[in-house]
Amino acid sequence: MSDNSLNNLPGGFKGMSHDMGSDQTAFKGAQWGKVMMWIFLLSDTFIFSCFLISYMKGRTSTVVDWPNTSEVFSLHVGGVPVPLLLIAIMTFVLITSSGTMALAVKYGYERNRKMCGWLILATAIGGLTFVGMQVFEWSKLIHEGVRPWENPFGAKQFGSFFFMITGFHGTHVSIGVIFLFIYARKVFRGDFDNAKRGFFTTMKSDYVAIEILGLYWHFVDLVWVFIFAFFYLW
Amino acid sequence: MDEIQKKKQATSTHKLGVYLWIWGLLFVLSFFSYLVDWFQFQGLLRHSLILIFMFLKAGLIMAFFMHLYWERYALVSVLLWPMTAVVGFIVLMAAEAKYTVFTRLLYFFIGG
Amino acid sequence: MSDEYNQKNTPLEAQSSETMTDISGTTSKDIDYVRPAELPEQDLYHGHSFITKWVFCQDAKVIGVQYFLTAVFTGIVGLVLSWLMRLQLGYPDLVPFITAEHYYQFVTMHGMIMVVYFLTALFLGGFGNYLIPLMVGARDMVFPYVNMVSFWMFFIAVCVLMASFFVPGGPTGAGWTLYPPQAILPGTPGSNMGIILMLASLSLFVIGFTMGGLNYIITILQARTRGMTLMRMPLTIWGIFTATALAMLAFPALLVSCIMMTLDKMLETSFFMPAIIQAGEVLDYGGGSPVLFQHLFWFFGHPEVYIVALPAFGIVSDLISVHARKNIFGYRMMVWAIVGIGGLSFFVWAHHMYVSGMNPWFGFFFATTTLIIAVPTALKVYNWIITLFRANIRMNTVMLFCLGFIVTFVNGGITGIFLGNVAVDIPLSDTYFVIAHFHMVMGVAPLMVIMGAVYHWFPLVTGRMLSEKLGKWHFWFTFLGAYSIYFPMHYLGFIGVPRRYFEMYDSPYVASATGMNEFITVAALIVGFAQFIFIYNIVTSLSIGKPAGKNPWKANSLEWLTPEVPPAHGNWGEKLPVIHRWPYDFNVPGAKEDYITQTTPPSEVMSAEVEKT
Repeated sequence: MSDNSLNNLPGGFKGMSHDMGSDQTAFKGAQWGKVMMWIFLLSDTFIFSCFLISYMKGRTSTVVDWPNTSEVFSLHVGGVPVPLLLIAIMTFVLITSSGTMALAVKYGYERNRKMCGWLILATAIGGLTFVGMQVFEWSKLIHEGVRPWENPFGAKQFGSFFFMITGFHGTHVSIGVIFLFIYARKVFRGDFDNAKRGFFTTMKSDYVAIEILGLYWHFVDLVWVFIFAFFYLW
Repeated sequence: MDEIQKKKQATSTHKLGVYLWIWGLLFVLSFFSYLVDWFQFQGLLRHSLILIFMFLKAGLIMAFFMHLYWERYALVSVLLWPMTAVVGFIVLMAAEAKYTVFTRLLYFFIGG
Repeated sequence: MSDEYNQKNTPLEAQSSETMTDISGTTSKDIDYVRPAELPEQDLYHGHSFITKWVFCQDAKVIGVQYFLTAVFTGIVGLVLSWLMRLQLGYPDLVPFITAEHYYQFVTMHGMIMVVYFLTALFLGGFGNYLIPLMVGARDMVFPYVNMVSFWMFFIAVCVLMASFFVPGGPTGAGWTLYPPQAILPGTPGSNMGIILMLASLSLFVIGFTMGGLNYIITILQARTRGMTLMRMPLTIWGIFTATALAMLAFPALLVSCIMMTLDKMLETSFFMPAIIQAGEVLDYGGGSPVLFQHLFWFFGHPEVYIVALPAFGIVSDLISVHARKNIFGYRMMVWAIVGIGGLSFFVWAHHMYVSGMNPWFGFFFATTTLIIAVPTALKVYNWIITLFRANIRMNTVMLFCLGFIVTFVNGGITGIFLGNVAVDIPLSDTYFVIAHFHMVMGVAPLMVIMGAVYHWFPLVTGRMLSEKLGKWHFWFTFLGAYSIYFPMHYLGFIGVPRRYFEMYDSPYVASATGMNEFITVAALIVGFAQFIFIYNIVTSLSIGKPAGKNPWKANSLEWLTPEVPPAHGNWGEKLPVIHRWPYDFNVPGAKEDYITQTTPPSEVMSAEVEKT
């Protein structure tokens, strides 16, 4: 369908019933890969929801005191403890990388190959920094005696949930970083301009892949927003 | 190829300013939620502030960075309706957690 | 949608501007108008070598058959395990190697295999892969490569599961629900390697299934052919689609509980583990919540029931419609019932946990939602029966299995109403009544559909018919045999025989239970062997079956309308089909034949009073 027909379709709720009632596609103008990433993220949302719900249940129902996260995660700057300093910096880094990713998607669609590639690379470096700081945070806590199976500051479950949830999120970030590097290389090589066929899937490359990658990266950021609120601040 | 490209430009690229604005807002909101901890608000105020900032941030990321604001409602509704199952799960598990801690306090400490 | 159709059917009245450009003057062309294609042709990878054509194949049809065969293989393992269990229950100590530990391992593996690796994989992986692209008019799944990886992940998951039979300690014996704390504590069979392999296998299954599920959902939503609206899809596709959507949202809970239990086992975290004293020794666990696992498990587990049931509902609707030569009664009602059951299934899970020690108010909430979900389910049963009412029924094997499904499903559904009410459930929980209930409703009933579906679609897959004579023998053995197995179990449950007991010893009800247990065991052995009639039928029909030709059942839906039978890679040859109607136009007044295929344009059947879809 040409771009006119997409703009000619009814919008809003009327558009919803029109799209759902029409033939061929239910999501007009959305590429298969993009829909796939959305549905996958929906599924992934349920994974993180289940983790956070378990955390809620564990934290609410424990009769041992939950550690004060504000103190546990504080850093000493010049001898003064600053609460959640590292977490604040990590949040800053992740949001920065999310912003560069959003711009990379924009420049990708504008076929600005150089700009897109550099921005993806910047995103990847932001992700790496985040993972690095998480490693630092983990080693600091482990140094203080927090383990998945025990916790000197209070409830055992604190350590378990901390390592599991941040670990699972960190895994998502790491996978994202790997793909960001792969796609940065692909962009610089010009795969998306020449519609080069993929090595595994043998399908043609397209700049929509950058948006799909961006969706994943923003999702990782989105999950961090929830973890930051529920695990560190609550 | 040209036509496809044109379509994408029409539907998916937006002014740079939009992204920069959202970016800035996210920083500001993150800073605010950090201040909640800095000033050590407690109780209902703390929790409601945390939730408000969290949902604002999540909403901004989804709406603009993930382009949901510009997507057609069909996709948006398919993505958001399943969240009712999560909400139901959260509400029920919150009730369950309260009950678990009640029985634990009852049997461990009071000795029901 | 119906408005659009009205417009097209009354060409002399107002036309949309789009249609006007397409008119070449004659009314017939005008009626047949279908929107132009939105998407370019799908880019397909054509395999050249044996390996890319049959092993690491990207054709959804081959992947479907691979899923089918792997699932049937695991299903046969599950069947043999059930024989061993029945032998022990009917004739204790007859088989020396069935010890209590082995018995529990058989129970666990039988349950897990049948629910997850057999039924789920068969319906969604097998039928889903084969039928979705054909029925919606796509050339293949939207991501053939991911689809191929999905099958091989499933295959690895099955291998890991089977490997647990051969590790020290054997497979886990914790029951298919894998409740902690007992699942990972010493004393439960297979509490070391067995449970770890089980959790690993489940996680692999979830990952593999997610890949497949994305394909099914997006093929149905985004790759339909011209004219194929959602409300013109066969109910089979609606059932598979909704079940896949449920799976995408329910399997995460299983994955999370698997991860957390693996950590509890391997790192001694205490997510699910309370403080425990074992043999006088205090273990390192403490403060965890076993009920949390049950909630997570059943948040997956109840949708899982519908993941198995909904494709069965959908497929049986199509089979009944084709073989009763009548349109399905209340198509839209059926669709909304499927979707409604799917949505509600996320709010009923704790009816499996009435005796678990959860918040007592939950019993009230979940009993209510459980009874609400019975409403759309009952609607579907009424609609099947009304479809059969005054229909031109062909009493062949397929129809027999459909009727068998309705009977067993109604039976299992009604006992479900018993168990959904807290006050009735409490005395009945963990008795054979529960066993009878869920085997009727999600064991026998979906199996009836699977068998009916195999008789129905075998000609499509292989080009040859299955033997009707053997099929009828197979049906009567299976149907009567299944009733002989599960009907007495209701009674066993009422007299209080508990489930998952290795032996009854000298319990007071042993006198009346013994004879019945022996009877059930004999019936189970006979039914099990009767399945070999089925396998024999399939194997021999592959070479000596009657050639089916095109569309042997005179069905309307797209899968029978491919240029080649069995369909080739890419399904549709040169041109994709164009759809003009729903797949249920049977015995339409005014039509020449008793069926109008989905691709028949309105201009060819001007006088027929077809449904407006």
